[in-house]
Order: sequence, then C-alpha cells, then structure tokens
Amino acid sequence: MSEYSPIVPREAVERSFAKQGPKQYTLWVDIEHCIGCNACTIACKAENNTPVGVDYNRVIEIEEGDFRDASKTPNVGVTFVPMPCMHCGQPACMAACPVGAITKRKEDGIVLINKDKCIGCRYCSWACPYGAPQFNAEAKIMEKCTLCVHRVEKGLQPACVTTCPAKVRFFGELNELTMVMKERRAKGVAINVGGADTKPSVQYTSK
Amino acid sequence: MNSLIELGLQVPVRLDSTLCSRFRSTKSECAACAAVCPAPGAVRLGDGAGNNSAEINAACVACGACVSACPNGAIRLLEDDQRVAERIAQKVHAGEVFRFACNRAEGRAEMVLPCLSRLTEALVLEPIRGGAQRVELCAPDCSGCGLRKTAQQWQRTLAFSQALCESAGLGAARISSVQVRVGDAEEIRLPARTPNARRRLFGAIAERWKTSGDASPIVAEVGDEVEPEPFRDIVQRHSENSKRTDLLRVLDALPGLNVTSKEVPTLGVPLAYLEVDQRCVACNVCETLCPTGALKHCEEGGNYALEFNAAQCTGCRICELACYHQALHLRETVDLSLLYERRRVTLISAKLAKCQGCGERILGTAVTLCPACQVSGDRRDSVARHFFSGGN
Repeated sequence: MSEYSPIVPREAVERSFAKQGPKQYTLWVDIEHCIGCNACTIACKAENNTPVGVDYNRVIEIEEGDFRDASKTPNVGVTFVPMPCMHCGQPACMAACPVGAITKRKEDGIVLINKDKCIGCRYCSWACPYGAPQFNAEAKIMEKCTLCVHRVEKGLQPACVTTCPAKVRFFGELNELTMVMKERRAKGVAINVGGADTKPSVQYTSK
Repeated sequence: MNSLIELGLQVPVRLDSTLCSRFRSTKSECAACAAVCPAPGAVRLGDGAGNNSAEINAACVACGACVSACPNGAIRLLEDDQRVAERIAQKVHAGEVFRFACNRAEGRAEMVLPCLSRLTEALVLEPIRGGAQRVELCAPDCSGCGLRKTAQQWQRTLAFSQALCESAGLGAARISSVQVRVGDAEEIRLPARTPNARRRLFGAIAERWKTSGDASPIVAEVGDEVEPEPFRDIVQRHSENSKRTDLLRVLDALPGLNVTSKEVPTLGVPLAYLEVDQRCVACNVCETLCPTGALKHCEEGGNYALEFNAAQCTGCRICELACYHQALHLRETVDLSLLYERRRVTLISAKLAKCQGCGERILGTAVTLCPACQVSGDRRDSVARHFFSGGN
C-alpha cells in the first residue's frame, strides 16, 4: 500500500517540501471518514518511543444523537477526532513557558520543546487549549507532537500519516494543502477552543 | 605569555549568567545593565525568544555601572567589590569626611574612580562602617562626560544608600553629593602600601595563576570541550549574590546601628516584599527561577509551605512574571528594615491533596482536579460543542 493517498498525492507532498521561504507544515484530518482505529496513536508511540501515559496523538470520541425520545427515530452516531499538536500560529504554550523552552521554527512552523531547557513545570499543558503537551514523569520534562520533525527533515511524512489505514490524515504545507483540499471541495475547519485564538494550523474536514 | 595576552584582550567584566534574571526566565524584561551602559553595543540583550540572556562583549569600557546596576550581582569587575572595599578601609580616618571622586572632578579625594557609577551601596557605606563622619560623592556636571549615561546609576545608588543610612538610624545627611568643577582629580595616596601599576599587573597574573590551580567554582573558566550542562540543571542551582552579601555585612557592622522602619516604593530599589494568594498551586517555579534563592519550599506531613527571605530578594520580579496563576505579587512599598532581619517568612502554607484525575499533588481543598486535568476536561467539551452544537 502506498504511503500517499489519492487525495493528497506524492507530487503535492513533494511540492510542500520544495517550497522556499517561511512555511507552515501541518496535518489535515478528514474526520468524516476517520474510523477511530487509533493506528495513528500507536504509530506515533512506536515512532517516538513514548512511555505509558504520554501520547502525542489522541483520538477523541464524540457521541451524538438521542434514542430516548420514543416519538422520534433514534439518530445516534459517533465521531472520532484525532488530536495531535495543532502547531499553532500563536502558540499558547510558547507564551506560557517561563524559560523559553518552546519555540516555533520560522522555516517550517513546527512548534518544538527544547528538552535541555524544559524545567517540567507543566505551564504549557495548562495553557494549551488542546492538551497537547504532556508530562513525561520519567524524564521530568514536557513532551508533545513534533510533527515527526526527524522524518520531515529527511523528506518523509509523519508516521501517523503514512500509517493511517483509512487515508484520512494528510501532511503538507498549509497553503499547498488548502489548495489541494479546495479542489476537492472540502471545507476546512480548524478547531478553535479555549477562548484565546491561538491560530491552530491543523485543519479538519467536517461533515 | 599566553595568559598575559589573554589578560589584555579579555572583557573587563565577568557575567555569572546563573544570577542573571534574563538568563533564568525569558519572561524577565530586566534591562538594568543595558540602561546604564555608556559604551554602544557593549551589552547585548537576548530577544526574549529562545535566548534572552544578557551578554557583555569587548566594547566594554569597564566603568562598572552595570556592576552597580545589576540587582542580582551577576556582573563583577576583575577588581571586585571586596578589593575596592579593602582599599577604602585602608584610607578611612575615623570622624572625618571620606570623598569619592571621578576622574573628571577637580580637587583631592580619598578615592578616585573612573566613574562614580562604579560604586555600589556597600561601597558607599563602607567608609561609614570604618568610622567616617560623612561620605561625599564629588562629581562635576555629568552632561559633558562621555559616560554621562551612567549618571542615573550613581544617583540611584546615592539615593538608596541615603535611605539605607536613614533606616540604620544614622540619618540620610551622612551621605551627600557635591558638585565640583571639571579638572584632574588627585587621589590621596597611602604611603608605600599601594603597589605600582607594573606590580599590580603581575599581581593580577599571579592571582589568575593561583585561581586556575585550585578547583575554582567559576563556571566561565571551564574549558570548551566539556559538554554544556542542560539549562534545567543550571536553574536548580542558586548562586550566592555576593553584592547582597557584601551589603548585609556592611549594614551589620555600621557603628551606632539603630534600625528604624523606613518604607520606600518598591519600584527603583533592589528589594521587595512578596505576597502569595490562594491561587498558588505549589508548582515551585518561583523557587526554581529565583536567581538568589530567596524563596524555598518545604513539605512536611502533607503540608506545603513557601518560605521567603526578604534580605536575599532583589526585586527582580521573575517570580511575579513567571507565576502562571498570578498568585504572587510584589508589595508596592518595602520596609528597608527587612535587610537587617534575616528570618524566613512563610508566604503560604496549605494542605496538599491529590488530583482526582491524574493523582498529581495539588494545593488547597477547594479544587479536586489539577490545572492540567481541568483544562483537558474543558477541552473535550469544547471540541464536542464545536462540532455538534446540539450534542448530548
């Protein structure tokens, strides 16, 4: 099975890598077709070797509908929302960090935690509206999704994207990805919760 | 020979970054050194992002204004305060006036300095400790001087020294500034005991030789090939603020000390009194980041207490700026008599509880979830609301 999906083909990803100047690498998740298998979570754990309790990617299940009203037809359903780090345009974690351990890289927009600087105070996890940074109790530092920066720097896609069996996770440069998705008439919805606008870069295709 | 060349080229001040507020926290906007530095480009401040630390390069003219301005005593001249204090002590005559003058001042003075901004409060008070009746700072009009940017610093030191003198019950009038004409200041020399310039140079080399021999704790001297220590380990250490230690020593030894209470505005003095309210979650970030170790926590029998030693606090505001829940604040005024008491005050003391979500320890009995669990609960709700406005 190819690691590229027909929706965002290899050429689109390569155009993203080739793009010059400041850019924003990001993910696009088609939650309409996500099957909630958690393969992304597992692939991430294996790739980044995270300890028990620390998951850079989590899939949230949202149950909807009602079956208790006898006069109506039951319309229950469940939706899966994979939530990695949103690699925000204005990261709340970066603003909260008292020691400047969190930086947003200008060249690719990836938000990273400097493990040497982090003092493990957890301020970033309190500030993040998406709960992305997590405390590694062994190392006593915070960790979070790096957008598989070690793979991306080699021209590879993040592990969660290559693994996704339903091919609903796409990787690319934000503008490039938006263009490709617009061609396919998908509506981009960036989750924006927690009050403050952190300008999340990860996009979701809603129903 | 190498050390001779090195001696000629090196920056005349040494910055102990573990004491620098900017190094410890990117939230710190302290610019005390840069604000008074007269040499363009000598002090470079970080940008507040990854690297926020202050750096001093070879453009430094060794006026000593930053040494005096840094509240945490992070910057030291090669001729450190202790040696200057010894020189002062040799020249003090009991019951007489002790005059400090800058190079440009006319007349004779007990001590001539390149610039009066070199003086710290401890040095201004040193003659009084030695029994001098009064201390005079003789300076011409600073506006015609190349180092004029430093004038604010020695005036600030003068004002704080006067306030300290008053709090010691000696009266502010014991320290004053005198405007003199521009000329060539002449230092009243001690007979024979002052070594000449050549001897001083070789003395300095000998000193360096000696300190390089024993395992000295100066971090900057460690060779380049040693792997740098991670920042998170460095901030766990709290170096001694030698500037404050010197000041406390001088204050304790002032003759006729009669401590009186004197309230001054916290803004502009290197001293503060802290208050902590119920929003404190016992994260200990203030303790970790405090450069001088004025804050310490202790946990005993399920109780958490944060203790504060006001005599060590330099009012650098890192704790206030860093506190996530804004539980910690500096009082607007501070009583100078705190410098004479060395007791630790308990700022907050409360029972520790366990978070019902993750088992992490939290402070207080009002909440059952730690801040992280509160946020993640809210997060899921918000996501659900966002996608399905009518969801259950």
